[in-house]
Amino acid sequence: MKRNLYLAATVLAGIVGSAGMAQAQDKPTIAVVAKVGGIPWFNAMEQGIEEMGDELGVDAYMIGPTSADPALQVRAVEDLIARGVNVIGVVPNDREVLEPVLKKARDQGIIVLTHESPDSENIDYDFEMISAQQLGEEHAKLLADTTGCEGSYAVYVGGLNVPAHNAWADAAIEWLDQNCPDMKQAADRFGVAESVDDSRNTTLDLIRAHPDLAGIMSFGSQGTIGAARAVKERGLAGDIQVMGLFSPGQGRRLVHEGVITGGFQWSPLEAGKAFVALGDRLYEGGEITDGDDLPVLGKVRLDGHTLFASKPLELNEETVDELAELGL
Amino acid sequence: MSSASAPRHAFRLGADTLEIGIMALLLVASFSFFALMAPGFLSAVNVRSMAVQLPELGLLSLAMLVPIISGGLNLAVTFTANIAGLTTAWLVQNALGDAGVIGIVAGIGAGLGVGSAAGFLIGVIVARVGAHPILVSLGAMIFLQGLGEFLTRGGGISGMPAGFQWLGSGTLIGIPIPMLIFLMSAGGLAYFMQFTRTGFSIHMIGSNLRATEYSGIDVRRVLIVLYTLSGLLAAIAGMVMLARFNSVRVGHGESYLLITVLACFLAGANPFGGFGRVLPLVLGLMSLQVIASGMNLMGASQHLATAVWGAFLIVVMTLRMPFLKRS
Repeated sequence: MKRNLYLAATVLAGIVGSAGMAQAQDKPTIAVVAKVGGIPWFNAMEQGIEEMGDELGVDAYMIGPTSADPALQVRAVEDLIARGVNVIGVVPNDREVLEPVLKKARDQGIIVLTHESPDSENIDYDFEMISAQQLGEEHAKLLADTTGCEGSYAVYVGGLNVPAHNAWADAAIEWLDQNCPDMKQAADRFGVAESVDDSRNTTLDLIRAHPDLAGIMSFGSQGTIGAARAVKERGLAGDIQVMGLFSPGQGRRLVHEGVITGGFQWSPLEAGKAFVALGDRLYEGGEITDGDDLPVLGKVRLDGHTLFASKPLELNEETVDELAELGL
Repeated sequence: MSSASAPRHAFRLGADTLEIGIMALLLVASFSFFALMAPGFLSAVNVRSMAVQLPELGLLSLAMLVPIISGGLNLAVTFTANIAGLTTAWLVQNALGDAGVIGIVAGIGAGLGVGSAAGFLIGVIVARVGAHPILVSLGAMIFLQGLGEFLTRGGGISGMPAGFQWLGSGTLIGIPIPMLIFLMSAGGLAYFMQFTRTGFSIHMIGSNLRATEYSGIDVRRVLIVLYTLSGLLAAIAGMVMLARFNSVRVGHGESYLLITVLACFLAGANPFGGFGRVLPLVLGLMSLQVIASGMNLMGASQHLATAVWGAFLIVVMTLRMPFLKRS
């Protein structure tokens, strides 16, 4: 309510003046359109957006469409253009659908940012909390550290044609080939990581077939959980290192039991903060160049118009509870 | 169809005027409310933005209205729109790529043809098999969704020629093209439903199917015509979405399906058929858009906006009931 009042006041002044864009010159209004509202990931992002908004004293908020239908994101952006915000951030459901309306926004002088969408065209910048390369390598390093580069390992992905998962897997395998030449993949990667049952069965088979199996890396939402259950069933916790992406709430017990070694992802909370910090910074003026040290994102690598930060979020015994509390 | 004894008064001018009056009043009320409450609501940018956003949902609602008046439903409208859009996009990009404006026109023609064909098919099944339209169109909806996803492998087609994009973003005498398309379609449909023999027959079918049959009207033909018309209107919506998004994929606009039903009932269409007018629907759609944009401008949650739409429907129903009962 307080926010509405504040808005009413600022924008009313805007109408009296020269309608639309010319709001309070010093502080921008930043709006972020999520993929869909009301799910834990984007609730955490919203929290980040509001925290950073308070910290910087800018009006920052998130719009969460009621379903993942891309048409709803277009409507949300249309309304934001009408509202005359200064910065629009989007986490696109469908990059292509948004291009015309993002172009419209930029034509009106609005700064446009995206997240998790490096291929978007009509934007100022896209930012990624962590590059695919680094996310894969962090897992590979964890595997190398915990196994001492001995034995064989297996890799699970959500599907053999899921681009992101396979890019992470490629990076991890390449790092291991170079830095742990003695470790070999027990078998080609498996596309089972979106199903707890499939990854559990695959893991049981692998344990039977490969006595030297030392680790499993899973890039997909359920593979880590499934693999951990199989390892636990066989009483091999600690002997086989299970790591990868997983939902903290789902995996926290397995982590505390020592079955899941750990994993890396990125934080939606930090991504939310980054939207606001980046938007504020761009609104103040100035380009971003390769190697800049930005608030929230830290030192970034600029590739085209994509900013790659290096902010892996480590999931381990210490962090998993806190993240689970966030509902992730 | 429990409307054997449905009141006839709705055909008379009085009831129609009342309905239009109610909807106009609600539009004025919601418009004034947000003009006062939502900052920047009256700005030219916002009014234009609402005019650009309304047509896709509007055209789909028109496509839903025709079957509802006949006592049926067409649940396949959104996927019909997608399939029509995919047809046009594929033709313009592949087969007709070099034909310029002629290629675009031919592509649109083919898209509208495919949409009409989907409607025609539903109509034939409803008319010949006699199954309830909800079942038939639900089957058609899932069929079209699956077919579209199979053919596109879940991907989309994007990158239409500039001439096509003009249809989505251009203006003519200050009015956005999608709005013009919507107004022309609504006008055409209003004329068809009010002043043609077939239009009147559609109302009669919804009012009393048996009586319509006995009065010598070819019910099957009318059913086929009305679902074909519904498919055509959905295809026009598909063209507008394709032009606005510059891309098309199965599932775009999926979330509009139930909203189109909401809009029709909001506008006084009778769930059991027989009654429903185009003008109140247009006014009702405008109210929904005003609420959505107004609440967005106020920074309210999208979920809350959806809740308000639902509440709005309930309030309108409640307000309307005494008038219906009195006669």
